[in-house]
Amino acid sequence: MVEGHVTISNLEKVYESGGERTKAIDDLSLEVPSGEFLSVVGPSGCGKSTLLYLIAGFLDESAGTIAVDDVPIDGPGTDRGVVFQDYALFPWRTVMGNVTYGLEQKGVDKKERQDTAQKFINMMDLDGFEDKYPKELSGGMKQRVALARTLAYDPKILLMDEPFGALDQPLREALQDHLLDIWRDLEKTVIFITHDVEEAVYLSERVMIMTRHPGTKKTAVEIDVDRTQPREDIIMSDEYTAMKNDVWQSLREETKPQAQL
Amino acid sequence: MDVGSATFDRSSLVSFAKGTVSLAVVLVLWEVVTQLGMIHYYFLPPLSDILFATDSSFVALTADGTLIYHGYLTVRRALVGLVIATVLGIAVGVLSARSKIMSWFWDPIIEVGYPVPVIALVPVFIFWFGTGDVSKIALVTLGCFWPVAINARNATREVDENLIWSARMMGTSDRELLRRVVVPAAAPGIISGLQIALPISLIITFVFEMVAGGGGLGHIEIQGVRSFDSVQVYASLIAIMILGFALDRALRILRHRLLAWT
Amino acid sequence: MSYADFRLDGLEESVPEPVQRIAWFVFEWIPLAILVGVWELMSGTVVPSVVLPSPFEVGAAVWELLVTGDVLPHLQISLYRVGVGLALSIVVGVLLGVGMARSQPVENVFEVFLALIYPIPKAALVPLAILWLGVGTETAILIVFLACLLPIVLNSYNAAQDVDQNLIWSAQMMGMPSWKIPLKVVIPATFPSILTGIRQAIPIAFIALVSAELIASNEGVGFEILRYGEVGAYTLMFAVLVIISAAAFFAVRGYEWAERRLIRWT
Repeated sequence: MVEGHVTISNLEKVYESGGERTKAIDDLSLEVPSGEFLSVVGPSGCGKSTLLYLIAGFLDESAGTIAVDDVPIDGPGTDRGVVFQDYALFPWRTVMGNVTYGLEQKGVDKKERQDTAQKFINMMDLDGFEDKYPKELSGGMKQRVALARTLAYDPKILLMDEPFGALDQPLREALQDHLLDIWRDLEKTVIFITHDVEEAVYLSERVMIMTRHPGTKKTAVEIDVDRTQPREDIIMSDEYTAMKNDVWQSLREETKPQAQL
Repeated sequence: MDVGSATFDRSSLVSFAKGTVSLAVVLVLWEVVTQLGMIHYYFLPPLSDILFATDSSFVALTADGTLIYHGYLTVRRALVGLVIATVLGIAVGVLSARSKIMSWFWDPIIEVGYPVPVIALVPVFIFWFGTGDVSKIALVTLGCFWPVAINARNATREVDENLIWSARMMGTSDRELLRRVVVPAAAPGIISGLQIALPISLIITFVFEMVAGGGGLGHIEIQGVRSFDSVQVYASLIAIMILGFALDRALRILRHRLLAWT
Repeated sequence: MSYADFRLDGLEESVPEPVQRIAWFVFEWIPLAILVGVWELMSGTVVPSVVLPSPFEVGAAVWELLVTGDVLPHLQISLYRVGVGLALSIVVGVLLGVGMARSQPVENVFEVFLALIYPIPKAALVPLAILWLGVGTETAILIVFLACLLPIVLNSYNAAQDVDQNLIWSAQMMGMPSWKIPLKVVIPATFPSILTGIRQAIPIAFIALVSAELIASNEGVGFEILRYGEVGAYTLMFAVLVIISAAAFFAVRGYEWAERRLIRWT
């Protein structure tokens, strides 16, 4: 568990279009130790997804650095796996085909990648759906396939962009608990973007709140909860409520002026 | 530009059966009216004459191999041209959607080249390459290139960026990206382009055959006009109809097979 | 994917906006200039200039044809054929499409015939048209009409089937007699799709026109191309080709422009 720590220093991202320069992220520094579960919340348009895509290496930073295990990143890499809100499954591949894709790219031989993929398919309760195409699956199942696909090629860091945002409440809670189990078992570093305070506080060890446009780190709240308890015990406890209120208060200061517009 | 996607998918057996009544009425009427001599034979011979009762009827010309041989010539010209155009069109279309330099080069050329009625080049191609198969295939290729390239380009541009990103995060190199992700993701649009190009390949082949000869169903058909044998015109049209229908079906089946995931 | 990616940093501050726009225009169309340049270089060197007259020769021939007016009667008759054929196909196509979508008996009668002509490349009907109408304008109009009919029928059929039932109900509620509904509600609601169908039909109309004129005409631009080719006046052949291509290009562009204006008003 020494690998997979992310260091972001003085990060800046400026978008340019038609001569207009828009600063999406301004002077953001952040340290995510190995194995931490960090959530990022912020008002909409604060650049939290931009931050995630910068860490993923899909976008280039305008200034500052992002390093994984002290090595500056250069584009996307298999040490970081993204789970997208809209799943981004390959529609022309079956569930099995999607989950084995990363292993094919790694050059794993056929037998082994089938076995590994099957392990993660079973882990996500998808057994029996191996030969289905994405269009035949519900949203919750697609997101589980996406998670299995990302876990299968074993990235050290999971980058999740509001992965459960499109799902209804009971499904979302089930997947949240599933994700927590996986995080504990597989010892991944997780950076989880969400706009849902409840979700952020319930899942993570630390919640970073971002300022409104341009986005930067406003504050971070440590969430110190014994996560071996069942969900209802956690969310009923007074300390949990207090921490949630902290995050909520802090976020509300950022969203308030916008809501008045 | 999605001419090909707007087709009669409803022409299934069920709705076809409903229409058979009106079709039967017209066919019977045709036979009766022509047998009674109410329409000049040259304009519209009786259906029975066209189908089997004369020397140049559909059955006679099929039995002696005429329609089959000339149908083969037509199909060969149209399909060889279509296949070459497909390969070139996909290459140019996909690359000009993914590469800025290719897009800079090809966009204005496609913009000006696409509306040119390629069929008007028949006399030019006769002049350049003669009246043989090379000339015909070359013009079919040119005519089919534009719809294939444009559809491939547009479909590639619309490929969800998240798919490309997720492929790259799983270690797909830029070179593999085209083959493993971009082309499969753009396949529905690429095949729509093929469906637009198919009738174009046939039109160019028929017109070329009618103008320049050299065999083929178009040649047989126009020969019927020149020798005042209207039965032969109708008989070759039946063959053309069957051919057009068969190729259209074949492409749909191919689409269905390749795109089972859509 | 924008040309801005080629832009040099700081350029926008130093150069006035109209100049930039012209520079862009030039930059965007350089590939065509390259193509014409290659054509010019090849003509008379790699390829004899008889086989491939230089762009300047062709340009001069276009000018000559337009100034002497030699091509104008042919262009006129061709545009007349396209125009009439297309107009007929719009009227018949919209009526058929809407009629088939809104009335089961109409659909039962006509669908089978449309399904039968659908797989025939319309140019293959030229010989048949010669049997009926002889060589000339009527044949060309018939072929243009038939070729354009299907895209227009299909677009109006699909759109008329998808007309929001609430629109029809609210029209009935406000007391509109049912015989007026197709004209007053369905066709207006189908209008954008009809426009799309027409846009698809325009290039098809030109293909059909030229096909008919190459096979069955003694006048018109298609015939002129063939005739100049046969008498060996190749530069003029290329010139007429440029003229008909320009006509097709501007027909599509002009229509798209008009459509945008129209959409903005509605």
